Amino acid sequence: MILRFFAVTAAALALAGPAAACAHPKTSLSFLEGQIMCPTCHTTLDMSEAPAAQRIKAQITRRIAQCWTARQIEDELVANFGQGILAAPPHKGFDLLAWWLPIAGVLSGALLLAAGVWRWSRAREPEIDAGASPLLDEETDRRIDELLAGMD
Amino acid sequence: MSRTLKRTGQTLALVAVAGLLALLVWRLTHQTHSPKIGGPAPNFTLDRIDTSGRLDLASLRGKPVVLNFWASWCVPCKGEAKLLEHAWKQYRSQGVVFLGIDYNDVTSDARTFLSHHGITYPTVQDGSGAIGDKYGLTGVPETFFIDRDGRLVGSHIVGTITNQVTAFDRGIRAALRQ
Repeated sequence: MILRFFAVTAAALALAGPAAACAHPKTSLSFLEGQIMCPTCHTTLDMSEAPAAQRIKAQITRRIAQCWTARQIEDELVANFGQGILAAPPHKGFDLLAWWLPIAGVLSGALLLAAGVWRWSRAREPEIDAGASPLLDEETDRRIDELLAGMD
Repeated sequence: MSRTLKRTGQTLALVAVAGLLALLVWRLTHQTHSPKIGGPAPNFTLDRIDTSGRLDLASLRGKPVVLNFWASWCVPCKGEAKLLEHAWKQYRSQGVVFLGIDYNDVTSDARTFLSHHGITYPTVQDGSGAIGDKYGLTGVPETFFIDRDGRLVGSHIVGTITNQVTAFDRGIRAALRQ
């Protein structure tokens, strides 16, 4: 009877252990599913039901239950699967190019577009020359005025 | 001003096109092709998961090698695990080395798999799948045969060996031949 009591208590403690170990998880599976790739299907985990993806999700769940942070879990997965397991390239070294090149491209494009628009708008502006002769000579102007007056 | 702008635009466009062309050429020249039978087996050095340390395929030169790609999440791999272990025990007296490559797998799951199925031959881990790519892997399990000179021989087995036992034996005999 006593042995059974101890066995049940030990089992209960073993089951309660992981939950008690992390009352306030530092990250969530739903967050990490979008950050981690499935190595066999090359989509993020949240898009994959592949067996490899299921195993990685199970591993992440175990680590969350052990109170690991997202960074710690990502580091472990990178050590296991390589850098390609991360959905986004890291913000350091050569990989920085992946972040900055698109921004540089968009900025260059915007600058070129702005310069082009500016040039085009200048080319269409009528050139006003102060010293140029008026469009109508005085005689024609006077006759038009007379005609308009006659129509009143 | 407009002339300079035009020149700058043209230069940028040229640089962009040249960059894209360079990327295309790089991709074409670095494309992985499946290794040819009779050709050298792609070499690798990977971490062992059955024990500590690393294993270099080149260090096995002079011995016939059966190379089996597997993963703990792969259901057919479970089916052939016992058969592979049995074959390893059968052929090792003839100098054949069995080498497991755990492909795209969680290390702890892979170790559990090894102990659960009683695998005793050396096993390394290809976590990123880069070596699998070098071998032109289409999935797991797949088994390759390498002769004493480090050349791929026989025809590699796609899928489980369980229902391809004849091809498996033929592959081992081809690796042993010399």
